Amino acid sequence: MDAAVWWLRGALVSYAAGSLLGLVPWRRGRGPRALVPWCAGIGALLHSAALLQTGWSLGRCPLATLPEVLSALAWAFTLAALFVWWRSRLDAVLAIELPIAFVVLLLSRLLPRAALSATGPPAAFVRFHLTVILFGVAALSITFVASVLYLAVDRALKAKRPIAAFRRLPSLEACDRLAYRSLGVAFALLTLGILSGAVINDAETGAPWTWRPEETLAILAWLLLGTLVLARLGWGWRGRRASLLMVLGFGLVLLRMLGL
Amino acid sequence: MAILLYGLNHQSAPLDLRERLVVADADLPAALLRLAEGPGIEEAFLLSTCNRTEILVSGDPSCAAALAPFLAQLGGGIGRDELQRHGYLHADGAAVRHLFRVAASLDSMVVGEPQILGQVKSAYALGRTAGTVRTVLEGLLQRAFSVAKQVRTATGIARAPVSIAHAAATRAREIFGDLARHAVVVVGAGKMARLAAQHVTAGGVGALTVVNRSWQAADELARELGGTAISWDRLFEVLEGADVVIVSTAAPHHVIGLDEAQRLARARRGRPIFLLDIAVPRNVDPRVHALENVYVYDLDDLRGVAEAGMGERRREAERAEVIVEREADAYIEWARGLAAAPTIVDLRRHLQDLAEAEMARYRSRLGPLSEEQTRVLEEFRIALLNKILHHPTLALKRAGARPEGDGTIALLREAFGLDAKEPDEGSGSGG
Repeated sequence: MDAAVWWLRGALVSYAAGSLLGLVPWRRGRGPRALVPWCAGIGALLHSAALLQTGWSLGRCPLATLPEVLSALAWAFTLAALFVWWRSRLDAVLAIELPIAFVVLLLSRLLPRAALSATGPPAAFVRFHLTVILFGVAALSITFVASVLYLAVDRALKAKRPIAAFRRLPSLEACDRLAYRSLGVAFALLTLGILSGAVINDAETGAPWTWRPEETLAILAWLLLGTLVLARLGWGWRGRRASLLMVLGFGLVLLRMLGL
Repeated sequence: MAILLYGLNHQSAPLDLRERLVVADADLPAALLRLAEGPGIEEAFLLSTCNRTEILVSGDPSCAAALAPFLAQLGGGIGRDELQRHGYLHADGAAVRHLFRVAASLDSMVVGEPQILGQVKSAYALGRTAGTVRTVLEGLLQRAFSVAKQVRTATGIARAPVSIAHAAATRAREIFGDLARHAVVVVGAGKMARLAAQHVTAGGVGALTVVNRSWQAADELARELGGTAISWDRLFEVLEGADVVIVSTAAPHHVIGLDEAQRLARARRGRPIFLLDIAVPRNVDPRVHALENVYVYDLDDLRGVAEAGMGERRREAERAEVIVEREADAYIEWARGLAAAPTIVDLRRHLQDLAEAEMARYRSRLGPLSEEQTRVLEEFRIALLNKILHHPTLALKRAGARPEGDGTIALLREAFGLDAKEPDEGSGSGG
């Protein structure tokens, strides 16, 4: 267990270093930002080692407590951001996503280790549910970052202000494309997560839907995201207001994840 | 004689005032001749671009009073208060300095852009043809061109290809990223439209369409840029598929109004569109910018984009300012020297006439002289004349170089009776 703690601490330091390097304004070339993907990669490796070590020590999937879920969520955020960076080389996405992963991981170290779910459904099914939710939220975090970037670029364009070169923001269309692609993935995964959640609920309580506040929050977020996907596919709806709603959708999902 | 410059530019006046003062190419000769007929004006030069309207005249200092009313009339009755608020008047040294800065692109919206020198040269050619640019302004403008050339070669001010058109291309990429898969529509086929289109399409675009009222001009530009020409009545149909639209027509009204833009935005189902309005007067209603996913940039807006990240250019501009300042001072000194030159010539001629007359009178009383004696007397006359003229000539040159030197020149003219109509009577009483 001690080794896992050290891996996690290493991951935290890597994420923190990457987050700080991402903030350095650099006018010519990428400068220190070139090191951010390396920090994220090293952090993700250390984090993976920590999760494996924890699972090995506990003899179960390390997704049974809220801190464990948050830790896995931070890991998924980093992997998603690294995937996007690998595909599109968008430095700004990694520069925003990595601090989020850092904060979530830090939070996981501070929270009490209370168990999340009771026994009932087969453990493998719960693992599937948690995994799809985890990666669904990670994809949605990319939607969130892309939407924030979209709003920043749109704001600069509407205010007719020049966009500082050192911020290296992606183009408006690149932000929009990334937001909708990741939203599509997130919505599909979260749909699977909600359906599997209903099955687990049914097994635990005898009803797929119990109107608990966190369930209602999840459904609200899902409906909002579904509406956004439909509006885009059906009417091509996009822009500032759509981006604001995507940010709101991520906020609702994050609240649900934290169990608030 | 004074050199006066009156006008307004992108720094002093907002676009909606500047666009009222833009003179169409066809109307320029008539406007120039009207200006040259003003009271006390000897020579006149008129520069009208989308960023400035300036008039430069030489003549009596009192002609300054006629300049603002001329500009007010040119702008279709601009109010005196409005002109006073946004216009500027430079006289003599300040006028020369301003003209040199304009020609050297130091006063441009995008410092260092190359178009302004061409515009000044066109205005000069027009003045020459109309006969309103002759001696004084001819010399001044030629010097301005030489200063501009010197600035461009001696500094790095024009090194980076920054211009309004370049700034427009940058902003287009901030919206769409790579333009290789995007459609560009050019509305209008004038010089500015061509220039902007060349910059925007330089990195390659998906499709390029030129729409113009004159099919021939549209076809010509489309061929040049590797695009297709479309007739004017299909403008909005083309715009539905466009991503970047460069609007630069000579129309004095909005070609794309708010209603049309709203319809366009709906038809585009939220896809962003970048309307680049480089026409003066503007061709796109500025309110269109408030629509979601529609971005409208006019010339003033692009200045902000162009000025970003111009640190190196600013340093070069500072070096260029030093050159302009030095050259302006040299010109002003030279021009002031010119003011004293007629007096120096008059004085020398006057004293020479006196010396020759007196010499002739006294020589007859000396009787026959040998060749050697005649030569000695002639040398004596010339040496004495040069000695007498030495200090007054220096004083006149110094006075000419000083702005307040006119008094000294006048005093010397009076002291030597250079402006007296009758022959100097006193000169005959000697001896």
